Amino acid sequence: MKITVSINIGGMAFHIDEDAYAELKVYLRSLDRYFARESSSAEIMADIEARVADLLKSRLSDNKQVITIVDVREVITILGTPEDISDDSGTGHDRLASTVYRRMYRDPDNRIIAGVSSGMAAYWRIDPWIVRVIFIIISLPGGLGILIYLILWIVLPEAKTTAQKIEMKGDPVNIHNIKDSVRQEFDNVKDKMNL
Amino acid sequence: MNVENNKAQMRKGILEYCILLVISGNSCYASDIIKKLKEARVIVVEGTLYPLLTRQKNSGLLSYRWEESSQGPPRKYYELTDKGREYLSELDKSWDELVESVKFIREK
Repeated sequence: MKITVSINIGGMAFHIDEDAYAELKVYLRSLDRYFARESSSAEIMADIEARVADLLKSRLSDNKQVITIVDVREVITILGTPEDISDDSGTGHDRLASTVYRRMYRDPDNRIIAGVSSGMAAYWRIDPWIVRVIFIIISLPGGLGILIYLILWIVLPEAKTTAQKIEMKGDPVNIHNIKDSVRQEFDNVKDKMNL
Repeated sequence: MNVENNKAQMRKGILEYCILLVISGNSCYASDIIKKLKEARVIVVEGTLYPLLTRQKNSGLLSYRWEESSQGPPRKYYELTDKGREYLSELDKSWDELVESVKFIREK
């Protein structure tokens, strides 16, 4: 049994497995970033989404009503990753260097209180204890650190989904590290449930 | 010098020409164009086509109209504009010249 999500792509509704959704979302975002420098990037993405909808629809039938991760991967192979597209159109890889994308999140996996310090540490790629010690030091005189911590707690979103956790760590978002972190999450759940 | 790089550069040059050629036959839906280009092995992945179509449309070589589809949302059908046809005949000419030049040198 699996949880499915319903999504709208190119004006069509689909039921899609949760893991397949995470992969598709990251894929579309990587294309979005790749085409961001084009003057009509929104139009290009709308065309691509319409094509994704077409391809996904052709994979459904009366006996198969849910899009799986296999379907999503097939669609990605057909449409191509930013790397494939840049090879194909002969534009070279120079544009891809800037597609590594990072956002600051709260990191729920390594948290002590709310994951603010561990999230900031993941963003800067340093040890969380460095951030924690700094917070403690600036909290000592008048509690300023505590105030800053509370504000960040409110402002920073928690990294909940696979895609967000990859963004938090700033790894280039691709299929391999999604697979790794989906597996990691799965192991975490297994541990928690003592399976 | 890198062979792959050189090949990619050559493909890049003729890709635009090929798209205009395919559309010049009949007004067509993006996936018709893709099918033809894949058969001809000009492109490997479909994502390559969409930015090119949009660029050609923005520079006035192509136009499109929406057409209802029986199996989903309406689709874009592309066709050449007058400017596009002129542009294509220029490219036809320069392609023939290129082929002649290469042939000439190869045979010597």
